[in-house]
Amino acid sequence: MKKTISLVAALMMISGVVAAHPFNEAFNEQRAMYGKGHSFTWDGQTYITDHPEEVAAAAEANAANATKLLASAKAKYAEVMAVDFGWTLTKNLLKSSNKALEAGDFRKSMNISAQAEYHSRMGIAQYHQSQTEWIMAVPE
Amino acid sequence: MKIIKSLLVGASLALVASITQAASSGNTLASVDPEADRLAMQSFFQKRFPQVPLDDYVNGIYSLDAGSREQWEEIEEFPPYEFDIEEGEILFNTAFANGKSYAGCFANAGIGIRQNFPRWDESQGKIVTLELAINQCREANGEKKLGWKKGKIAQISAYMAYTSRDNVFDVQIPNDEAKAAYLDGKQSFYTRRGQLNMSCANCHIAGANILIRADLPGPTLGHVTHFPVFRSKWGELGTLQRRYGGCQKNVRGVPQKTQGEKFRNLEFFQTYMSNGLVVNGPGARK
Ligand code: HEC
Repeated sequence: MKKTISLVAALMMISGVVAAHPFNEAFNEQRAMYGKGHSFTWDGQTYITDHPEEVAAAAEANAANATKLLASAKAKYAEVMAVDFGWTLTKNLLKSSNKALEAGDFRKSMNISAQAEYHSRMGIAQYHQSQTEWIMAVPE
Repeated sequence: MKIIKSLLVGASLALVASITQAASSGNTLASVDPEADRLAMQSFFQKRFPQVPLDDYVNGIYSLDAGSREQWEEIEEFPPYEFDIEEGEILFNTAFANGKSYAGCFANAGIGIRQNFPRWDESQGKIVTLELAINQCREANGEKKLGWKKGKIAQISAYMAYTSRDNVFDVQIPNDEAKAAYLDGKQSFYTRRGQLNMSCANCHIAGANILIRADLPGPTLGHVTHFPVFRSKWGELGTLQRRYGGCQKNVRGVPQKTQGEKFRNLEFFQTYMSNGLVVNGPGARK
């Protein structure tokens, strides 16, 4: 008992990535509890728990859109690597997306690109938060 | 759903609470006080594990976890790194093509000096780790650099640590530039990285001796004292920064550059935290 941190706690830390803003907090909470495609009300408005990348990936599946999303995900990856906050799985996601694109599986490619782009956006957010938030983690 | 949510909040509060007791000051160059940080770190661990004597922290997780300690003590009876120390001594004493050797690059001919690394190098304007100094010595003598993480560099470092056993770590911060490097290392230590969004501190302060998934992280106090380490999982010797990269990968982050500025500053911070403890490298770990 005394030595166990539940996986729940680890999950909490993940959704803490971009929780500084109250809307982000609400979004992360809804997303964590209900997954994507769930609608919720915040400050009188209705929102859906999809990430912007997932919204983009819901566009028509064709070669042009898949190519565009992959290029965008690659650019975002370069951006996160430039600030040294990349995540490990992203590179392989980009490779898989490229493979799917070449195989003509545009939907699959677009979904994977969305995931890769999300990773990089979160890494960049981590970088920005790290400039100030680490201070709160330092023992008082 | 309600229950899950309150569990979430409960768990995260618990983490925050245990973190905020661990005390210390300063996140700007003007306010950072390394000595206060170091004392706060020590007192945090001493309050949390009152039964563990301060000088036992050089034994890493085995200072806290009685369960694995016995196993480890058996390993240390026939140390798996013995061969590496011997090999390191031979390498250390083998002359370069120009007739000179490592001894010429270090204070006290390189014997018994591990406790002074990493050090602020005034002429280079940066932190120099022992491994960096070893490679700089080679290059100054017309030899090729060695790989950073294992093999010969780890063996030489192991021999140099061995000649320094029981010397007390005494890393110095002589000026504001060195202090800035310390502060940068401190920031790295508390910065969350990777898909799991965790910092070194999450595991090695708050999470010390708490199972995180299947792993039991040790205390950051004493982290550096026994490196390089012969790790059963590696089946060979590795340097401290090899381990840094491994921990960053474990949280699904792309690791920072071995012996790059970030890792050197992190090592500087971590070693300063362990000032006052003795050198006991090389060590053996699971
Ligand atoms: C997800 C938890 C986790 C995170 C985050 C983490 N580590 Fe570790 N680390 C471990 C575990 C588990 C071990 C193996 C048990 C031990 O010896 O502490 C370990 C081992 C180590 C060791 C070797 C300890 C020894 O006694 O030989 C060092 C040094 C280290 N980590 C440094 C770091 C640094 C620096 C960071 C931040 C860049 C970091 N770790 C981040 C879990 C973590």
